[in-house]
Amino acid sequence: MNQPALRISKLTVKSTLEPGAPAIVSEIGFDLRKGEILALVGESGCGKTKTAEAIMGLLPASHWQVTAGAIELNGTDCSDLPPASLRKLRGNEISMIFQEPLTALDPVFSCGHQVSSVLRRHLGSARNEARDRTIKMLQQVGFADPERIFRSYPHQLSGGMRQRVMIAMAMSCRPAVLIADEPTTALDVTTQAQVLDQLTKLGREYGTAILLITHDLGVVAQYADRVMVMLDGVIVETAEVENLFKQPQHPCTRQLLSYTTGAVA
Amino acid sequence: MATEILARRKMRISRSGLTGLVIVIFFFLLAVAVWAGWAGQNWSAADGERWASPGSTWWFGTNQLGQDIFERAVYSVRTAFEIGIVVSLLSTALGAALGAVAGWRSNTLADGTVLWLAGVLDSIPFYLFVAAVAFALQGLPWAMHVAMIATFWTATARLARAEVMKIKSREFVLSARAIGLPSWLILMRHVLPNTLHILLIQASISFVAAIKTEVILSFLGLGVQDGVSWGLMLAESTQEVLAGHFNNFLAASIMLFLLLLGFNLLSDALQDSFDPKQAAL
Repeated sequence: MNQPALRISKLTVKSTLEPGAPAIVSEIGFDLRKGEILALVGESGCGKTKTAEAIMGLLPASHWQVTAGAIELNGTDCSDLPPASLRKLRGNEISMIFQEPLTALDPVFSCGHQVSSVLRRHLGSARNEARDRTIKMLQQVGFADPERIFRSYPHQLSGGMRQRVMIAMAMSCRPAVLIADEPTTALDVTTQAQVLDQLTKLGREYGTAILLITHDLGVVAQYADRVMVMLDGVIVETAEVENLFKQPQHPCTRQLLSYTTGAVA
Repeated sequence: MATEILARRKMRISRSGLTGLVIVIFFFLLAVAVWAGWAGQNWSAADGERWASPGSTWWFGTNQLGQDIFERAVYSVRTAFEIGIVVSLLSTALGAALGAVAGWRSNTLADGTVLWLAGVLDSIPFYLFVAAVAFALQGLPWAMHVAMIATFWTATARLARAEVMKIKSREFVLSARAIGLPSWLILMRHVLPNTLHILLIQASISFVAAIKTEVILSFLGLGVQDGVSWGLMLAESTQEVLAGHFNNFLAASIMLFLLLLGFNLLSDALQDSFDPKQAAL
């Protein structure tokens, strides 16, 4: 527990299209400990998703200027790594799940093909071996008939099923860090619980640290260990989940809580 | 059999589309027969009497040199398919490649260059340009093909560019990057396969356009150099029609009409069955 799975310091994201505008994310820093679930909450547009995309290195340099003191993955700084080495880390050491399961899978390939191609790419598995591992993976995210899901195309599956395929894909290489960007916002409450249960169970099993981005404090209370509150690109409060709900420090946190519980702050 | 395959693939095809498919398959088999040497081999022999009427010896009659019009019309199917296949495959491939690069790197120098080139080519009157290229490369058997490929790719490129720009903002592309795929591989593996339906329709449209253009160019004397085509037959018939002999003219026109009709019906049906908005109705 001494070395964090992911350490971010002084991460700033600016739009290059509006040079004068304030930074979308300004000088944030945090540690994601090994195996923990850290929630990042905040209202829409406060910079949660941009933080995640900046960490993953997904923001095109033509539109976004990303500067960071350090982005350390298991102790190695990857903020100045060349693109080719970064690609080796992505999907392997650090993965991401997106908000919209409906569009996050390629419609022209079967789900099995998409999951196993990750294994073949990063672990160099042979076709049959990747197939077997994919089916095992699909079983682990809760599919009773993984063989059928392997052959299915995304449009044949429901939103919750697709999100579980995404989880299988993101977790297939047993990454050290998983960034889940509002993984259940597009799903109904029951499916949401199932998907999050699978996700956290797999995370514990593999020792994967999860950065859970959400605006749902109910989800935070149930699944997260610690929580960070973001407002206008700045992290205003970090706390253990229990403490946050008992003694919210920042007015923004209190406001968020009041919307969820209906209590007057 | 065709209907079974389509049914298994859950594709619906209308009755007119099926008619088109049957016509196209019929002509294709005819072309294969010519390639294999089973039919249309006597197209150049002038062994009949001049302007014989259709009958059991000369099915479609003979032309002014006493050549068998049926043989010539059948051999022309091969010419038409040869040009259609070469031009539609190469122009679609070229258009897809340039359009994909332009769309993937939109608003860059590469994109600007492709658009500029397409704009310049489109601004020249089509037949004039094709005729000029065919004239400049006269003597080369491929002059006409080059001319058509050089102009047909622009429409495909514009469509491919727009589609790639649409697809690249979809989340599965972002997710492919999050998984660690390099940019060019995402373009090849995830973006281009999603444009295949458009490319298929474009290919069928340029197939028809190529056959029509060949007929016009051959009519003008800029097309087929060795061999015979419907365009050459029509060019011959300009003299014959004045003398009151319509066999050559009718044979070439009707064959051309049927093949184009078949192809248009088929590509309409393809367009309908690939269009998700239509499928939902």
